[in-house]
Amino acid sequence: MIQRIRTIAFHTFKESVREKVLYNLIVFALLLIGSAVLFASISLGIGRLMLVNLGLSSIAIFGLLMAIFIGIGLVSKEIDRRTIHNILSKPVRRFEFIIGKYLGLMLTLLVNTSIMTGGFYMALYYVERRLGGEDLLPLEAIYFILLQFAIVVGLALLFSCISTPILSAFFTFCLYVIGNFLGDIRWLGQESGSRIFEKVTVLLYYVLPNFSDFQVISQSAHGISVPPFLLTSGTLYALLYVTILISAAILVFEKREF
Amino acid sequence: MKQGSENKHRTPAHIWLCWLLLAGGSLALWPIRRGIDRHAGGLGEHAETLYFSSGKTLRALSLGHAGLLADIYWTRAVQYFGRKRIARARRFDLLAPLLRITTELDPHLLIAYRFGAIFLAAKPPEGAGEPEQALQLVRRGIVANPGYWRFWQDLGFIYYWDLKNYKMAARAFETGSKQPGAMVWMKAMAATISAQGGEFRTSRLLWSEIYRQAETETVRRSALAHLAALKADQDIGELNALLTRFRKEQGSEPGSLENLVRAGYLKAIPLDPSGVPYVLGANGKVTVGAQSKVERHLLPESPPPPGADS
Repeated sequence: MIQRIRTIAFHTFKESVREKVLYNLIVFALLLIGSAVLFASISLGIGRLMLVNLGLSSIAIFGLLMAIFIGIGLVSKEIDRRTIHNILSKPVRRFEFIIGKYLGLMLTLLVNTSIMTGGFYMALYYVERRLGGEDLLPLEAIYFILLQFAIVVGLALLFSCISTPILSAFFTFCLYVIGNFLGDIRWLGQESGSRIFEKVTVLLYYVLPNFSDFQVISQSAHGISVPPFLLTSGTLYALLYVTILISAAILVFEKREF
Repeated sequence: MKQGSENKHRTPAHIWLCWLLLAGGSLALWPIRRGIDRHAGGLGEHAETLYFSSGKTLRALSLGHAGLLADIYWTRAVQYFGRKRIARARRFDLLAPLLRITTELDPHLLIAYRFGAIFLAAKPPEGAGEPEQALQLVRRGIVANPGYWRFWQDLGFIYYWDLKNYKMAARAFETGSKQPGAMVWMKAMAATISAQGGEFRTSRLLWSEIYRQAETETVRRSALAHLAALKADQDIGELNALLTRFRKEQGSEPGSLENLVRAGYLKAIPLDPSGVPYVLGANGKVTVGAQSKVERHLLPESPPPPGADS
């Protein structure tokens, strides 16, 4: 089973690379270095801060786009091309296929993020002419960005099993945006005065993925470390949510007729 | 057959037309754009638009990238301030809102509070001439970053230098001196201001401290300019006192500083911090020469030098 999942994951990774997704990394690295130098010259006293904020935000935004746009095609593309029949006619079970696809895209994003992190540290070294202990803090933010990707890929994969690619992208992006406003949605419910609305917003608060806890870029840029509790609870939350999403995707995919 | 083959390889006319339109259109864009810019009087107004007036709203819309937005807004504030300062503008309407948005987006962006307060407090055309706004900005900084004692130094400085409120300045330095990690001189500064108010020595101490701490060339240059103006102001005061003595003892107007030298009141005509001799102004008071690099608007009283248009 492990071998089959590994094979599917590896092929998903190879397919993503073949789609020339990784080429944008070169553009990213050049933009990052170029803009860091530019901002150091037109701003006042925020050369490093700007580089860290810009670098980490770029990693998050580029990765998010990849997670959504590759994730939505993971299953639907195989169905459209009818390659799903070939795969499932082999001794590959449906849940192995889903898990393999998920891990393959996560591997792509991991490699992608690693290369972008390398570009980011090169730019940081270029600006500071040295790298010290405090420069390890952005790695915490990058870890949290990866946790976000894990949930977003799970969402995209689930929607990919249910709907068309365009609708899947729309739903995933909407849930990502809503997931950043869950605190406000809950507050709205409390302020509304309606008990039903309040209960609905509380339910949404707990059921939908909460991305706001993973937003630690600004703190990292200021040299503020993520508290160990948040690090552990954030990891557990992401793992649990991914498990739920993959389980749901498997359930949908098991029932699907081709 | 051959003719058919030639036709096959010949580029169709519409393709050439497309290339021509593409190249011609691209070339024509530049002069048209320049023409529009030259005649559109509202361009300045366009640049003065904030688009978003609340940093809190922007923060919510940033989807976790508020830090990056704060950096962009801070850069925008710096650029806005620089542009206005170069243009010797008297109004800096967007400066305070831009700084508010920046610090609402990132309440820990210390540099925006500190330099922003300097930009806001300084008199036009050096700054916006809004010391009250500067006080508000620094106070917000203190609330968001209670452990950062240097904000109390900035607060004391604005009270001392821009508002001439020595009592409040002394209180700010005193409160700041009690914050963890505060430098010993904060207490000394509170005591000095309480005892002597707006004295040259106190001002020099403050500006020297700012010069010593300056992290950027802009602030360092500003501190140097203020130190030079303080020295010139002190020299001018002493020379004016000599002039008064001359008039009293000789019963006539000195006419020029050279006459003070001839009469033995001075060994030589003193030079200002930029190395240019002081001159006697048209109003009978000493001032810096026309060639002086001392920034005239930083002097409390700056009569026009002889021969100046005004």
